[in-house]
This record gives sequence, structure tokens and C-alpha cells, in this order.
Amino acid sequence: MNRRTTSALAAALALAAGLGLAGCSASAPELKVDGAFMPQPVGDMAGGFLTVVNTGGTADRLTSVTSSLSDDVELHESKDGKMRQVTSLAVPADGELKLARGGDHLMFLDIKKQPKQGEEVDVELHFEKSEPISVRLPVKERTHNPDHR
Amino acid sequence: MRYKTVTAAALALAATLSLSACGTGGEPAGADGSVADVSAPAEDKAATVLDRPFEKPDLVLTDTTGKPYDLRERTKGKPTLIYFGYTHCPDVCPLTMSNIAVARKQLPKADQDRLQVVFVTTDPERDTAAELAKWLPAAGDPSFVGLTGDFPTIQAGARQLGIGIEPSTEEQDGKIVSMHGTQVVAFSPKTDQGYVLYSEDTTPDDFAEDLPKIVKGENP
Repeated sequence: MNRRTTSALAAALALAAGLGLAGCSASAPELKVDGAFMPQPVGDMAGGFLTVVNTGGTADRLTSVTSSLSDDVELHESKDGKMRQVTSLAVPADGELKLARGGDHLMFLDIKKQPKQGEEVDVELHFEKSEPISVRLPVKERTHNPDHR
Repeated sequence: MRYKTVTAAALALAATLSLSACGTGGEPAGADGSVADVSAPAEDKAATVLDRPFEKPDLVLTDTTGKPYDLRERTKGKPTLIYFGYTHCPDVCPLTMSNIAVARKQLPKADQDRLQVVFVTTDPERDTAAELAKWLPAAGDPSFVGLTGDFPTIQAGARQLGIGIEPSTEEQDGKIVSMHGTQVVAFSPKTDQGYVLYSEDTTPDDFAEDLPKIVKGENP
């Protein structure tokens, strides 16, 4: 009795694990970065914009950003004229995290040089679940806004 | 705004769907213009012309040279754009100034000279006259006027234009959080009243299209 219960349990567990694994591999976050850019900065700080597209069935979070341009890259949420640093930003399952002008953005503090239009800025995005993604942000004119075309 | 647009589109779609559902066998939906009404979103226009314009605030602040600047006196009879923002702002403030700068350059030279663009800091503690003198020409144009002063005066001036700003606050980690206004107010050279509002979504093209009218005090 005891043994049967155990094996039944084991089978159930194996099944659950199998399902879980299958579910997992089918739905792990699958991230791709799109539309990245940096408007040519004014002064000693810069903003960065991009979209993280998640085609996986599991949500992820952007937790930090590193760059050779700045030792202090913050994630910012922007609302009603106020921006606030946050510790992470959600990348929804089968959805996207959109960092766009006037909204959430990356903020590069105490930048080490003044990148000019046409140059590129390297960044590495770190996530809660997914592997880091390296992106190059082309520097665009100050008024650049891909949402207005 | 993105969200709003999507909602508007969804609503328009829903309206179209329900209209076509109702219109079985009848005239094509919209023959009476009803669909056109739904799908003509007034919010797509960058400018909002005010039914009740604002009086120009009686503001005396300090300009980028460190001298007193009397807003009413200096901008009297001139087309004027006013924006409240701060220089430690990586996105919207320099974007707004750059957008106006790009559009202004498309005006005839005489109109460029008449148009007054005034940037009032919402973060006077960090934005000294010297800081503004450094930032404003880069973010906008050397012709732009940058003003600083004590916060309550600035806040009162903003409030007279329906713009709510709060003083900068220091977070627990020592980071300073400031806020900017979300609108540019255009003042007519004819009445010296603030009669048009521009939202954060206003593009350089929107400004370029409207400024020739603003410099004449006409409705965009």
C-alpha cells in the first residue's frame, strides 16, 4: 500500500515534472530588442529608448542596464511630468516592454563622453530570467521620435 | 497617449462594427456622416485653443545672465511660448525645447526674432542662471530665455496657467526627483493672453505648422 502510493506519487510527480518541463521550455521568455536609440544628449545625462519584445509565454523583468557610457544607468518610470527610478520593469508574456519618448526610459547619469549623432552607444540589458542582451543604441537627433512619423 | 489612441481606435472600430451591424440592408454606414464623426478624433490635433485664455502671469524672475526678467514687460505684444521644466531631465524637457527650436527655424527671420521662447525651471535649486545658460542653448536655441528664481514664485506663476508643479524632493537614496509641466502655453501678440496649449506629444512638424499662425495671434 505504502509502496503503491509512493510509486503512484512518483509517477504523478514525473508526469507533473514532464508537463512542467514541457510547459517551461515552450513558454520561457523569448526576448528580442527592437527600435533602440539614444537622442543626442544635452549636458551630462542621456536618455535611452528601446522595445523588448517577448514572444515567450512567460513574463520577465528588465532588472538592470550596464553601459560603457555611464557607470550609473537607471530605469525610469515617467508619469504626469514626474519620473521616478524603479528597480525593474516588467516584460509581459507575449507582450512588450516599450521604452518610448515621454514615457518609461533608461537614464544614463554622469556620461563619460558626449556621443554625437551617427555614433553608437553599447548597452547590456540584464533580466530576471533571460540571459543578458547586448544592444547598440544609434545616436539620433534630439527631436527623434519613432512614434511620430 | 498611445493607450488613448489605441482606445480611440478600438472605440472607432467598435462603433463602425455596431453601425454596420445596424445598417444591414440600409445605406452604407457613414453616409450620413456618423462614422466620420466618430473617426475624427479631435485629440489628434496637437493644439488646444482655449475658450477662456489665461492672463500672462505677473512673473519677475532671474534670466540666464543673472539679471531680473519681468515676463509681462519683456514679452508684451510679442508671440510667446512658455514651458516649465528642468535641466536634469533626460527626455521630455530637451525634446520639447528641441522641437520648438526646429520649428522656429522654419519661420521667416523677422518672425523668429519676434517669437519669445521662455523656459522656466521647476527645479531652481539645481538650475541656477549659470546652469540654464549652459543647458538651454544646447537643448533648444541660444535665443531662448531661461528663468530661475524662488520656487513658490515659479509655482504660483505655473498655477496661473493651470500647470501644477511640486518642489523637487529628495529620495531616501539621495536622488532628487523633479517634475516638469506637461504643456507649452502659447501667448498671442495681440492680446498677450495664453490662448493655445500644446501637449507633450506635439511634434516639430506640429509646431512648424502652427507657429506662423501663433506669431500673428491667429488660431492654429
